[in-house]
Amino acid sequence: MNLEDIIKDTNTYYCLECGKCTSVCPVARYDKCFSPRMIIENALLGFEDELVLDRELFSCLTCYMCQSECPSDVDFPVFVREARSLAQGKGQHGICAHSGQLQSLARLMTSPNLKQKRLEWLSQEHRVSEKSDVLFWVGCAPYFEPIFEDIGFSALGITKASLKILNSLGIEPKLLPNERCCGHDALWTGDVDTFKKLAEYNAAQIKEAGVKKIVFACPEGYRTFKLDYPDYVDLDCEVQHISELLAEKIAENSHLSGKLMEIKKKVTYQDPCRLGRHLGVYDAPRKILEAIPGIELVEMKHSGLEAICCGTSAFTNCDSYSNALRAERLSEAVETGAELLITACPKCQTHFRCAQVDKGEEHRPTPKIEVIDLINLVADAIGEGGKSSKKK
Amino acid sequence: MEEIRTGVYICHCGLNIAGVVDVEEVAKYAGQLPGVVVSREYRYMCSDPGQDLIKDDIKELGVNRVVVASCSPRMHEPTFRKAVEDGGLNPYLYEHANIREHCSWVHDDKELATNKAKDLVRAAVRRVCRHEPLVVREAPFTPSVLVIGGGIAGMQAALDIANGHQKVYLVERDPSIGGHMAQLDRTFPTLDCSECILTPKMSDVGHHPFIELHTYSEVEEVSGSIGSFKVKIRKKARYVDESKCVGCGDCEEKCPWKVPSEYEMGLAKRGVIYIPFAQAIPNVATIDGEHCVYLQKGKCRACEKACEAGAIDFEQKDEIIEVEVGAIIVATGYDQFDPAVISQYGYRRFDNVLTGLEFERLTCAAGPTEGKILLKDGREPESVALVHCVGSRDQNYHEYCSRVCCMYALKYAHLAKELTKADVYQFYIDMRCFGEGYEEFYNRLSEEGVNFIRGKVAKITDDAVTDEEKGKLVVVSEDTLLGKLIRVPVDMVILCSALQPRADAENVGKILNINRRADGFFLERHVKLDPVATPTDGIFIAGCCEAPRDIPDTVAQAEATAAKALSLISRGTVTLEAAISTVDESICHGCGRCEEVCPFSAPSIVSKNGVMVSEINEALCKGCGACAVICPTGAVTIKHFTQDEILAQVDALTEAR
Amino acid sequence: MAGFEPQIIAFCCNWCTYAAADLAGTSRMQYPANVRIVRVMCSGMVNPLYVLKAFEGGVDGVLIAGCHLTDCHYIDGPTKCDAMVDKLREMLHVLGLEDERLRREMVAASEGVLFARVIKEMVEQLKKIGPSPFKARTEALA
Repeated sequence: MNLEDIIKDTNTYYCLECGKCTSVCPVARYDKCFSPRMIIENALLGFEDELVLDRELFSCLTCYMCQSECPSDVDFPVFVREARSLAQGKGQHGICAHSGQLQSLARLMTSPNLKQKRLEWLSQEHRVSEKSDVLFWVGCAPYFEPIFEDIGFSALGITKASLKILNSLGIEPKLLPNERCCGHDALWTGDVDTFKKLAEYNAAQIKEAGVKKIVFACPEGYRTFKLDYPDYVDLDCEVQHISELLAEKIAENSHLSGKLMEIKKKVTYQDPCRLGRHLGVYDAPRKILEAIPGIELVEMKHSGLEAICCGTSAFTNCDSYSNALRAERLSEAVETGAELLITACPKCQTHFRCAQVDKGEEHRPTPKIEVIDLINLVADAIGEGGKSSKKK
Repeated sequence: MEEIRTGVYICHCGLNIAGVVDVEEVAKYAGQLPGVVVSREYRYMCSDPGQDLIKDDIKELGVNRVVVASCSPRMHEPTFRKAVEDGGLNPYLYEHANIREHCSWVHDDKELATNKAKDLVRAAVRRVCRHEPLVVREAPFTPSVLVIGGGIAGMQAALDIANGHQKVYLVERDPSIGGHMAQLDRTFPTLDCSECILTPKMSDVGHHPFIELHTYSEVEEVSGSIGSFKVKIRKKARYVDESKCVGCGDCEEKCPWKVPSEYEMGLAKRGVIYIPFAQAIPNVATIDGEHCVYLQKGKCRACEKACEAGAIDFEQKDEIIEVEVGAIIVATGYDQFDPAVISQYGYRRFDNVLTGLEFERLTCAAGPTEGKILLKDGREPESVALVHCVGSRDQNYHEYCSRVCCMYALKYAHLAKELTKADVYQFYIDMRCFGEGYEEFYNRLSEEGVNFIRGKVAKITDDAVTDEEKGKLVVVSEDTLLGKLIRVPVDMVILCSALQPRADAENVGKILNINRRADGFFLERHVKLDPVATPTDGIFIAGCCEAPRDIPDTVAQAEATAAKALSLISRGTVTLEAAISTVDESICHGCGRCEEVCPFSAPSIVSKNGVMVSEINEALCKGCGACAVICPTGAVTIKHFTQDEILAQVDALTEAR
Repeated sequence: MAGFEPQIIAFCCNWCTYAAADLAGTSRMQYPANVRIVRVMCSGMVNPLYVLKAFEGGVDGVLIAGCHLTDCHYIDGPTKCDAMVDKLREMLHVLGLEDERLRREMVAASEGVLFARVIKEMVEQLKKIGPSPFKARTEALA
């Protein structure tokens, strides 16, 4: 796609230059060089080099806050995504966090004959079935383990809790031994080639698996399968976030509701951008929290449609502004008086945990609050939490 | 953006390279690589005409990046950087490809070697495009030196520097300089009197116009780096005005309170106000605040009444002195291993089991027994056992050899023989007599009738099994030469205790940012080729703080540190490493991982405009790159070895030719 | 696997292993020409991405070699390198990469013989296990 096509595809021609996007943009509040409006303007004026060679192009969180305010319905996040693919063509890839290892892993996973050992953590405690028509998407969790060890985050802890919960619902899901990265980060940083290959490998495997439904514990994988895969591959099955599935079961008053034990805690909930604004899932996680006896949910100053992003997306441009934004969001969480900050996205959790190990006590203390995934909380409530959510 | 114009030069090195690598083909290949404007091959690139090729191309062809493919960069990188600089370019716009040591000399297959040379050149060409000019900076060197520790090592270093008319700040923790050597009676193997050789030096230190002596003081904080260390010294209150005290000792005589004397190893008592020993420098009294009844309970002041000079000052407070120095010499010495932890040796349980230093004081004419070797009950011992390797050469305590014990044990054996006519038994594992005159001394002692028993002592007991053993200490050991267990009853046992790192060595290491080895002593920069330097530039180590050693070695080391410091002072400036790390503050979170990982304390987290970010102290950074690896955000970059540069090289190496 | 010549990238620390490779050269020790050395100042400078990118490029093996634990010019670089390699190995294992493809060695400046032996061994081993699973990807891209 060239710049003109991108502009057409994303309603960018209709921009009124009102600047509402910049005024609501969480990044622009901290990073004075970042302005969605200016980015659009450069594009409309045809300044392609200014657009794609600017490091700021990779600072957008694609959190969809801007689009919710845009009177012309410009799809700025998708515009940015496509502009990044032009940037990739010119050797630009933003500033990769964690040395770019995660991006590299995604590229390596485009190798055709991989024999991954991604399920070695699986134990007798988890019941999975080859014959199941429900697939559970494990995602990047096995790769995250060593990288995020130092911030006390275990993505596999969420995976294991998910399996426990599915099992307790009577679901023994199928797992793919050679599942590839879903390609979310590749796509959103403009590496379309990698994304396409990953999507193709995944689609082929899913077709072969013959499942009817795929359940995700990660909103990014969910979004990618639901909204992006259809543009590239044939995927003839239902996709669902585990929070939706759980909320459904609770509403059906399945035996799960009776199993939820009391957890006396005041909690607040972070709407992940992908789950919230991208896919409109706001209620399901809240319904689940309400169903756990003893849980008191207090909302942050900004929540739901207005929820502030955790500060980084696609492990790119995780800069000082991201960090400031993260601190702000953590303050909002602390201000609620909650003991726990619940998220439904593993990446939100990495970012919030990471910010809390940063130094800064003397000048601007980073607000401290324990962060856990909704799934780990539910697992605790059904007595299947184990050590997974407690890993420090 | 600047247009990249790379010049590539392939060296034949006579036939060293050209004999295997087809240099013409490599040059031809390099000539068509992107950005390369000229590619040449030449017999000896390091020769003057070879270097002139580079200089001329810079001037005539506008070459702005240079790659030389020749021998190892460890050999000639500096040569070609210099040539590039002489040609008018920044010396860091240069990259070296090693096609001799890593190619022509290790592969005899001409085709494979030529292909490898092409790959290495291609990678160098790709990398050199990304090089940035770097500035080599010089910083002024403050012409003064801090010496920590006033034992023989510190005094010798201080005197050497001061005699070169450079300022020295000598800091000693105790009330007097002198260190362990001041406690010794005689020194092996010559048996000359320790005091006689030491006190003139102490006096010189005390009166030297270029030495500012701070006794009863400790270094509390060191910041900065080579050339300008900023040092905070805490001068502890001694409650005596040094300028008024004449050292007459009247106060100590009148002081009604007595405590064990550290100098006499607790074998005699001293006043709470005291001068540690007769030859102390400075010869002034100090009140031991911890034991002073007036300071603790508010009543007494006997010393004040006794002092005619009016030197007592109970109002005195600790004082912080700040100095700036260019270099630091650490000569903090050692602690004696406490043998009480080896309970089977009975130290502190049996009256007549002594440590080496305690015995040393008994033999000293000015000591608690006026030079008589006496048992606790006042008798002269009829037999004395010397137990070697107490706490050293022992996996349970210290694995290392303490180096001096064999020799001082021989000295004690001689003194015991000379002063008491006692039978002397040496229980040794191996006799290590390596220094000048040492083996001769050992032979002499063998002739003096000392009994040498090869074996590690198992225990010392008063549990007599024969009449002969009654009332004696029985040394139980294996005699490995006879291959049997023996029991030797004696009157006195001397434990040759290990020399071990100071109890506060870890803290001193932290203050100075110098590391310790696994054994706890300070780590030298290179065990063979840089033995008195530490990995921290400008900080040197002398004497037993680095490892156990005898007086001649300590003095030699002290002199070496002085020479190092003087050479830095005479140069006047320090060159700072150019390929160091740098932080993009707009990316940095101030997480502090870089600060944690850096062994040189170069990064620190500081507040800038209310945001916490990492700041690199360029004078401290050595360019190891650990911070750039650990940085989770990509804010830290190591110049000249940036991620971009290395990845360019890796990419080029994996591409098809 | 006849005719398969494995491709190896070696990250060598300037002070020890790079010097050991120099010594192997000065002593005219022969070893297979399958290795390309990238000079780094310290083994603790090797970023995991360098290794991953080398594999992306299709190499069959990567060697990270530097000073012994106590010889480091920068005090404790090798310890940091070990920690990095441990984490990286974990990821490469999940990816299904054979353990032998990433080799970590400590080779002192005086150990030219060891350097040559490590390269010989590595080439033999890699010949046995065949091309890297990522090679197909690189070939597909080319």
